[in-house]
Amino acid sequence: MAIIGPVQQKNMGPPHSRIDGRAKVTGAAPYASDFAVGRPAYAYFVTSSIARGRITGFDMAAAGQVPGLLDILTYETMRGAVKKPTFFAGGGYAGTTIRPLDGPEIFHDGQIVAVVLADSYESAREAAYKVKVTCQAEQPAATFGSAGATTEDAADAKGHEDPAVGDIAAGLAAASATVDADYATPTQHHNPIELFTTTCAWTGDKLTVYEPSQIVHGLKHGVAEQLGIPPDHVRIVSPFVGGAFGSKASVTPRTALAAIAARCLGRPVKLVLTREQGFSVATYRAETRHHLRLGADADGKFTALSHEAWEVTSRPDSYLVAGTDTTARLYACPNVFTKVHLVHVDRNTPGFMRSPPEVPYLFPLECAIDEVAEKLGLDPIELRRRNDTMKEPIGGLPYTSRSLMECFDQAAESFGWARRSAAPASMRDGDWLIGWGCASTCYPTALAPATARVILWKDGRVKVETAAHDLGTGAYTALAQVAAERLGVPVGQVTIALGDSDLPPSPVAGGSITTASVSSVIAKACDAIRAKLGVNDSALIDPGIRVAGFERLGVALVQEYAEFAPHGAKPEGIDKLYAGLSTLKGGAMLEDRIQYAFGAEFVEVRIHARTREIRVPRVHGAFAAGRIVNPKTAHSQLMGGLIWGVSSALHEATEMDLGTARYINDNFADYLVPVNADIEDVSVILVPERDTQVNPLGIKGLGELGNVGTNAAVANAVYHATGRRIRELPIRLEKLLA
Amino acid sequence: MSAIHVTTKINGDVVDYVCEADETLLDVLRNRLGLTGAKEGCSTGDCGACSVTIDGRLTCSCLVLGAEADGREIGTIEGMAKGDELHPLQRKFLEHAALQCGICTPGILVAAKSLLEHNPKPTETEVRFGLAGNLCRCTGYDKIVRAVMDAAQEMRRA
Ligand code: FES
Ligand code: FES
Repeated sequence: MAIIGPVQQKNMGPPHSRIDGRAKVTGAAPYASDFAVGRPAYAYFVTSSIARGRITGFDMAAAGQVPGLLDILTYETMRGAVKKPTFFAGGGYAGTTIRPLDGPEIFHDGQIVAVVLADSYESAREAAYKVKVTCQAEQPAATFGSAGATTEDAADAKGHEDPAVGDIAAGLAAASATVDADYATPTQHHNPIELFTTTCAWTGDKLTVYEPSQIVHGLKHGVAEQLGIPPDHVRIVSPFVGGAFGSKASVTPRTALAAIAARCLGRPVKLVLTREQGFSVATYRAETRHHLRLGADADGKFTALSHEAWEVTSRPDSYLVAGTDTTARLYACPNVFTKVHLVHVDRNTPGFMRSPPEVPYLFPLECAIDEVAEKLGLDPIELRRRNDTMKEPIGGLPYTSRSLMECFDQAAESFGWARRSAAPASMRDGDWLIGWGCASTCYPTALAPATARVILWKDGRVKVETAAHDLGTGAYTALAQVAAERLGVPVGQVTIALGDSDLPPSPVAGGSITTASVSSVIAKACDAIRAKLGVNDSALIDPGIRVAGFERLGVALVQEYAEFAPHGAKPEGIDKLYAGLSTLKGGAMLEDRIQYAFGAEFVEVRIHARTREIRVPRVHGAFAAGRIVNPKTAHSQLMGGLIWGVSSALHEATEMDLGTARYINDNFADYLVPVNADIEDVSVILVPERDTQVNPLGIKGLGELGNVGTNAAVANAVYHATGRRIRELPIRLEKLLA
Repeated sequence: MSAIHVTTKINGDVVDYVCEADETLLDVLRNRLGLTGAKEGCSTGDCGACSVTIDGRLTCSCLVLGAEADGREIGTIEGMAKGDELHPLQRKFLEHAALQCGICTPGILVAAKSLLEHNPKPTETEVRFGLAGNLCRCTGYDKIVRAVMDAAQEMRRA
């Protein structure tokens, strides 16, 4: 097959097409809801239409008449059936501690209030529509500034340490140019194209759950915890995931409810949430507010950075992203102050969404840099160059590698930045105002403990088993490449089993840790096999050596299980992994160093002079992330990330009705994401980089690197086109009309 | 509710099934016939993941009842490859990395095939607009467009 893809440069593996691609293009790849299970019953949720209050009664008369109805579960029969879950962001499993069918209380719009079970999906849905729920509603708080919202310091709520150094007042006083501004980012929902589905089947007291998951061992333990059964009695099957972006990384309340329903009926239960139900049953990216002050001296050296932020969360759960951990350390600056607050409102609990801290937090910083640059009459790239550093300013820790300016240079060259005329609204093409903007992007390089089993047969076939996940990222392919290279066989001879909790545990597919963490453990297992075959560290292994090794051993296969713990990991990391918990280490969390991947993003916008329609004809990004295992899939991840970034900057926002605290646009017709016709030239440059510290293979993650800087790059381009600073996302044309 | 007996052709084969009057074609394909290549992303006609053809016309199978397939010819992703031999579009999607998670891929391939049947020599803009009814949350679309253009060229040469 022809290889079309980025060229292989220094410290990159060969570009390889997806090994699971054939299954995907023929429709054969089994996603969780594609598994057939006997004669299933279907579940459909009734959800709350108020955001705060109590259920006062149910009228089931009409629902009870629907042919095929089997049962309706409510809190009246289910109280106590689901055990209290532990919160994912507090070291547990669940994305929310709200237990929907445990009592009459309503904590948020769209909360599950009844589970309707029927012989067919259509009957379950019809009966669900006919269930009448009466409630006593109270006035809910929707967001910042709503009556009844309560604010607390993240330091109190979560023990978060707000990074700070120096004297912020002195730093601001010493500045010759400052920006002091407020910024806002909206609620966003992941909206993977795959719906949130769950199929549960019991065999005796053993439960099999087919559910798309970014953390099969965590889901296994989380469901066991909620059902009060031994984790060994639960198996999660999720070989293919139809997009996730963080939404499938923690346990939602739906799984235990489907499992209990299947146990009640003595029959498998299939559940497919509707698109709108997914908005409130799973998590979302919380809206944030920021007050940012940035000062620089006449030479363009930053003298002060103050970043204060507020994040929305639910009433009971303190979910926090605190991206100040990154913004405080991104540039050299002697005086840094940060503070993060949590605002509790009557909403479902938010959660991880692609690059959770960096997306909302880099937006204000990278916009403010553009503003300071203009005030100083400096090119924004040059301003970043003057504050580039190999040592983060808070603890003085060294970056393991940092190719930020190299990325700027390559992206600027490809974009043609030198031809930009600096003054706002100075580049025009007929009716179209042209704007060029740029921003830095970065993402912490973290890893987590992982385990894997590798089997090599005498004839050169290889099997790798690990409960990691391929969300579309290319993990199947990259991990096969690592094993193939290490064992000296073609990639086509490697089979990979992922996404099943019966396999040796791997960490959550989140935080861009999979390739680095799981490649590391696979390499370790392969090295143990090589040692058994008598191949020393650096030697290549070829078929002759392999066969000779097998003959000497007198066996048909060699199997090795390995455990890997990254730099900085605690000894109990592997035990925790077996308990379904991922302990991420890296980024700014290490004591002796700091590790991040970097990039630079450039955007051209064209804004119609009269209608203010905004088009994005060009997006160029250059990225460095250590060793690139598969440039082809890496390129796709980064390109998809850039489109996510454009989408976030211009389209995406979950709108709330502020009076009722309900989501308004919880469907694909109204929640705007780009379509084919919205996207034009997107160009991704992979910048070679070698990092000898992050892990033995030198791999950084990049799945969340592409979509971080784009918000600011677009906003800066909009300013350049129009002279208008829009500090509230998304940037829609109405904001340019006023 | 009374069951309805349907006789239809799916990917060239005569198929008989019984379904409920309110059951969508998507549910019939997935739940009754085991043809799970068509995916459900919204059930409201917004995402295109459930795309099939009915008598050669591109259709969201979530918006059509199973009963309506009676006497029609249905085309699904499962009928696109000829045995082991992939359709040029399928091959080009692999080569160009035009898929990531793959959940949108069957729908996009069915839509692209239909597009090329009606317009064998589309411009890039026609491809972008022709596939604007298919959402993809992973790829960023560019590679999909390249793959379709490349496949179209190869199919014209063949
Ligand atoms: S499922 Fe039919 S268009 Fe989305
Ligand atoms: S590849 Fe995931 S939605 Fe298109």
